[in-house]
Order: sequence, then C-alpha cells, then structure tokens
Amino acid sequence: MGSAEEDYNFVFKVVLIGESGVGKTNLLSRFTRNEFNHDSRTTIGVEFSTRTILVGDAVVKAQIWDTAGLERYRAITSAYYRGAVGALVVFDITKHQTYDVVDRWLKELYDHAEASIVVMLVGNKTDLAQAREVPMEEAKMFADNNGLLFVETSALDSTNVEQAFETILKEIFHKVQKQKQRNSQSNTVSLANESPESTAPAQTEKRPCCVAL
Amino acid sequence: GYLPANVDRRESTLKRKRKEYFAFVEQYYDSRNDENHQDTYRQIHIDIPRMSPEVLRLQPKVTEIFERILFIWAIRHPASGYVQGINDLVTPFFVVFICEYIEEEEVENFDVSSLPEEVLQNIEADSYWCMSKLLDGIQDNYTFAQPGIQKKVKMLEELISRIDEQVHRHLDQHEVKYLQFAFRWMNNLLMREVPLRCTIRLWDTYQSEPEGFSHFHLYVCAAFLVRWRKEILEEKDFQELLIFLQNLPTVHWGNEEISVLLAEAYRLKFAFADAPNHYKK
Repeated sequence: MGSAEEDYNFVFKVVLIGESGVGKTNLLSRFTRNEFNHDSRTTIGVEFSTRTILVGDAVVKAQIWDTAGLERYRAITSAYYRGAVGALVVFDITKHQTYDVVDRWLKELYDHAEASIVVMLVGNKTDLAQAREVPMEEAKMFADNNGLLFVETSALDSTNVEQAFETILKEIFHKVQKQKQRNSQSNTVSLANESPESTAPAQTEKRPCCVAL
Repeated sequence: GYLPANVDRRESTLKRKRKEYFAFVEQYYDSRNDENHQDTYRQIHIDIPRMSPEVLRLQPKVTEIFERILFIWAIRHPASGYVQGINDLVTPFFVVFICEYIEEEEVENFDVSSLPEEVLQNIEADSYWCMSKLLDGIQDNYTFAQPGIQKKVKMLEELISRIDEQVHRHLDQHEVKYLQFAFRWMNNLLMREVPLRCTIRLWDTYQSEPEGFSHFHLYVCAAFLVRWRKEILEEKDFQELLIFLQNLPTVHWGNEEISVLLAEAYRLKFAFADAPNHYKK
C-alpha cells in the first residue's frame, strides 16, 4: 500500500485473465509486492492491486485487476473489462488445456474491452519446464499471428515477471503518447468527438482515479 | 442444523443420514473421472489446496474428505454445480466436528489421520449434510450468473444509503462499486474477511436465526461496512479505498468484535428490515 498522496502522471488499468489455477494471483503479487504464495487462495470475484513505475520521465500507476478464472463468475467479471487499456492473458505452460482456451478468453476480452487494448500472452510456470506441454515456439507464433505481445514467466522464481508488466505498460504508454500527438497535429480533439467512456480508457493524466467502471 | 427438534429421534436420524451419504459416495464418486464430470472434479481438485483458511487443508486425508464432500454435493445439485467459494464453506463445520475430539488450540497442528476411521467418516457425513443444509438456503447465490449475490449486493447498497448516507456518498464519489468488494462478502459469507474462529462464532448465530445465511447476513454485512466508516471516510482515493476494503484489518478479531458486530446487525435489522422507507430520500 503506498501513500494516498502519491504523485503520478498516468493511471493504466490492466486486467489479468485466463483459466483457473494458471497463476494470475501470484503474478500480481510478485509484481506488486514481490511475494509468492504456494497455496494462495482462489480469487473470488475480482481483487485489486497497484504499483507505480517509471516509464521514461513519466510516473505510471498500474492498476491491476485480478479476476477469478472460473466460468461461473464471468457474468460478473465482464463489467471489469471496461476502461482497461491492457490485458495479460495467462496460461500454464504445463497444462495444454489452459492454452487451448486462450482463444475463448481473447474473444471475451474483445467483446467487452476497447479495440485499442494492448494484449500480452503470458505462459506462466517456466520453473516447471520439465513438465512443459506447450512449446514456446507454438505460443510465440500464436501471439505473433494475433498481434499480441508474448512472454514466458515464472511467478515462483520471478523470471520475467517484472519485464512482462514493464513491457505492457511501456507499450500502453507509447500508444497513449502517439494518440496525443495525433490529436494535437490534426488540431481536432478526436477524443471529444467520440463518447468519452469509449475512447479515453483508464489513462487520464494527473487524476487519482479515472476509471468509469 | 439438520437434526430434528425431537431429541429421541436425533441418534437415528444421524445414523440414517450418514448411511445415506456413503451410499451417495458409492454411487457417484467413481464417476469423477467420467467425461461429463471431470471438469467439476478437476476444479475441486485444484481449489482444495487454495482454500481459506490454512488450517488442516494440506493434509492428504483432509483433501480426500473435502474432495468427496464437494464432488458429491456438486453432482447432486446440477443447477449450480461446484462454484469457487463453496469449498470454503465446508471448513467451519469440519473444524467444529473435529474439535469434539481435540482441544481447539491443537487444530492447527493436528494430524487428522490419527483419528479412527469411523470417527472421520461420521465427521465427513455430518459436514456434508450441514453444508448441504446451509447451501439449500442460498442456492441462487451459486446458480448461473449468481443472481442471489447480485441481488444481495444491490440490497446492501440500498441499505447503506439509508443507514449511513455519508459513507454511501463517499464510496460513490470515488467510484467504488459495492460489487467490487461485497461480492466476496456474499459469495464466501465473510469467511475471507475474518479469521476462522470468528466465522465459526458468526455462523453459530446464523444457524439460530431464521434465514440467517440468506437474510440476516445482509445486516451483518451492513454493520461490517459501517464498522469501518472512519477509515473509509479518511481515504480519499479510489485505489486506496478498494485496497483497504479488500484487505480489512481483522486478523486480531475474536469473539468480542463479532459480538459487537452481531449486536449492531440486530439493531439495524430491527430498525430497517420492516421499514423499507426508513430514512429513504
């Protein structure tokens, strides 16, 4: 928990999705608190954590929503996609079934989120490489074909966790910067032309909270 | 919970129910690896090590018992099936029954497999029926899209707007939605918000209260939220508010805090339950 008066330039809302048990909660706790829990409890509904990082000169607050991976909750979790500017779609490299359904998660994501959302495919649990069922090349190719970022991580031994979040946050940041430039060049405020909730996702400047959930 | 009021009939009912449960086990448990049931079983299997709280849950014997209880329940209740959170709801019953055989303080380090098989079987069957009875009263919490929970969270919001308008407005102003924190309060009956000893104490009251788990729980949640009004009003930021509400500092709670909470819940129920327009704007 940081202090309430932290100063930051951007708030980016990022959601973690994927099958139950792939390690979403531990990726989050590794990134925000540098903790790993061998028997962390099942996530109920959504849980929430934040961390502030530096991207270039800008202070970016990542507001990360961890959702339950079980089907039954989806009616509730879908509301939480709104305003998200980034998504980590997580699977377990040792369980092919969790990779097979990535498609379904992507579909759900694009049904509810902004088209401009930055998506990263994350193969978690590389510490269990001897039990690997999903070849890295296969997942990488899938990501390339679908325009997703890709990384393999281990929340347990910390491999690539930091990089995964940093990469997606940077990518979002650059997207926002580009959008801003485009807006100022064309001299029309395109953000204002469209409905405010649908364009400006959670990327307001210098405002503590921006998400219209 | 499920025993008849008549003392003389209790022993025979218990016997009959225990027999019935193990007949279910015999009938259904082998089907856990069948195609149409394996998803359920797999989910239960990965959730048991992730239950709340830590007590006991990692012992193989306990895992086995919980898996059977949850699987049988899911198969016999196809309308809802197994939903995450239900796994937590077995624990309080199980621990209470275990505590008949050991000292309460020992629970954490107790090796369950040291109990005689027959005792364990009785505990398993009794836990199953108690959990079933509990869930019968709140089934719509766990059917598709969880309408019971949606409804109760709305009711909580409505209630708070009348009980403590300032808190309600504060949450609203900072765009905190009740669903974001109270979903879990309903789905897991506050088990994730307070220590196990408090859950057991709380449920004790729920069981003696008509519609305790389905209705009175709402007033307990209201009292619980308002209990943190000072802290809530001090937080002036969406993120800090949500982090606070999802991680309430109750680790040290015991009977005393729960008693105060229950008293307040009774007061609220008395003042608001039958007066839907009381303080309404």
